[in-house]
Amino acid sequence: MAVPVVELKSISKYFAKVIANKHVSFCAHEGEVVALLGENGAGKSTIMKVLYGLYGADEGVILVRGRETAIRSPKDAMQQGIAMVQQHFSLVPTHTVTENIILGSTHGRISLKEYDKKIRLLANRYGFDIPVEAKVGDLAVGVQQKIEILKALYLNAKILILDEPTAVLTPQESENLMEFIKTYAAQGNTAFFITHKLKEVMEVADRIVVMRSGEVAGDLKRSETDEHGLANLMIGHDLTPDTKMETSDFPEESTVLELKDVTVERKGEPPVLEDVSFQLRAGEVLGIAGVSGNGQDAVCEVICGACAVTRGEITFDGRDFTAATIRQRIDAGIGYVPVDRYRDGLIMEMTLAENMMLKSSFSRRWTRRGLISRKILSDYTWGIIRGHQVKATGPDEQAKSLSGGNQQKMVLAREIDVGQKIIVFNQPTRGLDMGAVDRIHKSIREEQQKGKGIVLVSTELQEIFEMADRIAVMYKGRIVGIYRNGELTTEQIGLLMAGYVQKEGAQ
Amino acid sequence: MKQKYLDVLLFNVGAVIVGLVISASMLLFMKINPAEVYTAAFLKIVTDQYTLGEVLVKSTPLIFTSLAFAFTYKANLFNIGAQGQFYAGSIAAVSVSLALGDRIPGWLLIPLVLLAAFAAGGAVGALIGLAKAKCRANEFLVSMMSTYVVSALMDYLLRTVLRETKREYLQTDPISSNAYLPTILPGTRVHLGFVIAVVSAVLIWVLLYKTELGFRIRAVGCNVNAAELAGIRSQRIYVITFLISGGLAGMAGLTEINGVQHMLLQNFNSSIGSFGIGIAILANGNPIGAIFASLLFGFMNLMGNTMGRLPNLSIPASIIDFIEGIVMICVIISYFLRHYLTDRREKRKLKKEGTPA
Repeated sequence: MAVPVVELKSISKYFAKVIANKHVSFCAHEGEVVALLGENGAGKSTIMKVLYGLYGADEGVILVRGRETAIRSPKDAMQQGIAMVQQHFSLVPTHTVTENIILGSTHGRISLKEYDKKIRLLANRYGFDIPVEAKVGDLAVGVQQKIEILKALYLNAKILILDEPTAVLTPQESENLMEFIKTYAAQGNTAFFITHKLKEVMEVADRIVVMRSGEVAGDLKRSETDEHGLANLMIGHDLTPDTKMETSDFPEESTVLELKDVTVERKGEPPVLEDVSFQLRAGEVLGIAGVSGNGQDAVCEVICGACAVTRGEITFDGRDFTAATIRQRIDAGIGYVPVDRYRDGLIMEMTLAENMMLKSSFSRRWTRRGLISRKILSDYTWGIIRGHQVKATGPDEQAKSLSGGNQQKMVLAREIDVGQKIIVFNQPTRGLDMGAVDRIHKSIREEQQKGKGIVLVSTELQEIFEMADRIAVMYKGRIVGIYRNGELTTEQIGLLMAGYVQKEGAQ
Repeated sequence: MKQKYLDVLLFNVGAVIVGLVISASMLLFMKINPAEVYTAAFLKIVTDQYTLGEVLVKSTPLIFTSLAFAFTYKANLFNIGAQGQFYAGSIAAVSVSLALGDRIPGWLLIPLVLLAAFAAGGAVGALIGLAKAKCRANEFLVSMMSTYVVSALMDYLLRTVLRETKREYLQTDPISSNAYLPTILPGTRVHLGFVIAVVSAVLIWVLLYKTELGFRIRAVGCNVNAAELAGIRSQRIYVITFLISGGLAGMAGLTEINGVQHMLLQNFNSSIGSFGIGIAILANGNPIGAIFASLLFGFMNLMGNTMGRLPNLSIPASIIDFIEGIVMICVIISYFLRHYLTDRREKRKLKKEGTPA
């Protein structure tokens, strides 16, 4: 067998308090697509960041083309022809596409016209349709990703690492990306592809490295395995099959929340929300489907009060809530699990106990004679930790030292308590492993059964189908339709999400 | 937890020693034996009761100005204007003391002066907070410039209504002895203000860590988005925080006017504001730590004065600024070193255990 292009030998990486990788070894050959499959926190991104020189390995060696190589920085990596497209892009929004691509690899006088031509040629070679003179900030996320890839290709990368590349893409864009990866590998290059989506792995990978808890749990050829086998390797045990929801009808009298022609506009921008109307009934899960960035965040923020309404009305429990403050809404029983727990959900530098009192700091339930009672707070937090099986040492642990799934459980527990009437979940399972997803879905169902109204925003159709009674599809700030679960097929909803308005009778 | 506090103590003491050693090299260049000078100054301070008392006197206003900075720091705000708020407090303290000094007894007067000093400093602070909340002004710049405004105002008042009856210097008449903060240690100048300062520091700690308001302030400081989503109005927090912070700095006006100077002088104590910032950083923003850090700086300040006054040696006063600066840098470096070492210790522990988390 030929010498592998890249070989990782017994790499270990420690962070304070966490082992990210433990004796990880695998290799990749020319022309191969290697998928790194694993739950979040399994260490896939970390091992690739070690290869790309963003992290230094604490143990182990990296062999590039058979030779032991020290990769201390991305610059070293690029010299070896290794490039990485990160989950969060590193582009300058106010610069043009060309400027972004040549950034860092050009000196002296720059003739932009020439570079424009060069970049256009390069883009065409891979079938990318990109306006090279446009400002990056004006372009869609899918295009921005292509720019990141072009950046790597421009530097003549022979080994390309893609970190969860499809998370931000529409199904159609994802397919294009898969095509590209295949072409790229066919030209004798190597691609690493980090993902936790089984379907993508089966579609594009030649070899699959499954990671679990920082270790390699399996290293197989695609032909040797199937989705079921991979899933078992990933989580270490069998998943309970999803039971399809029994959907039921809810009478109109049980409406707890109503949005009527809600529009949110900011000066000089297309409306974030346009005439959004829906009713949420008690005991119902209303799923909001759509490609990320089509106004779902705004809907959530309008409900919980973080975003002011330009026009329209919000009625909650029979009262006009259009102009209610966030605090009034919390007091009224509206819970909100935000999409970005780092930014909006938790205060990472504070303890778990302090995070638990965050939303009820006005309620006086934590104080005795005006002073915060450590005991009340810590008893409560222990209750949450045990009740939701949070892996934490105790109430005094800092939120940031928990894993993502456990952090999310803490947020969820708090919001379930706050949201006595309705709870808004904005992509509650994004980036979590299957075990955590399972538990979170269970919690949502429990709250639903208690008669709470639930709004569930998700970009994963699978999740919507599994959880929702009704499905609202959003596209460019509008709700293009609300359907009972089961009324539409995946393909139909996919088309709606992509902006194809359904015509009567058209299939 | 125990280990942590021990580390903090060890690293800070170590840093001070290292700082002193480095500064010693400067004395060597001047052909002065540092060991001798340090010992002489140190002995003078610890053996002479009056001088030892001066450590507390010097540190009293520093506790207030460092608290002022530390308090806003917890809300991720920067109050660079403690000097101005201190002046505002001083103007209020001297005005109230002059106006009421002979009319009401001391036990009633002192609390009134305290309130006035707090209110004056607090008003300046609240204005900065309002500018931040309502106009999104940069509080760093506004608070910094506010010092110049207040000091100009003080100048103006000293030239007009507050000017001494002799009309000779830019200062006020001395206040009535009725309004003096009582001395608490006989044979020294240590006055009640030191106790007020320590109590204030403790109260600020309680406010920050034991009350809901303090929790909200810290929440806004750590993550303003999450705090807003939790119904906390950050703008209101900005104003409240700056009000309290300014009030604290204003209280230094009480201790300096009624405790030490007994009159208002032009541009007096002109560097306690900036020292407060350094001390607060040294104390890592902890109110209780601010007491000790202030004592350390009071001590070093006095050490400098004493060294300057040692017979037969002519040590320039500026050398103490140098020593203070070096010690400060060492302490800040030790802060990062401590974190680095704790991190490494955790890692090594993990390696030994060897099971993936």
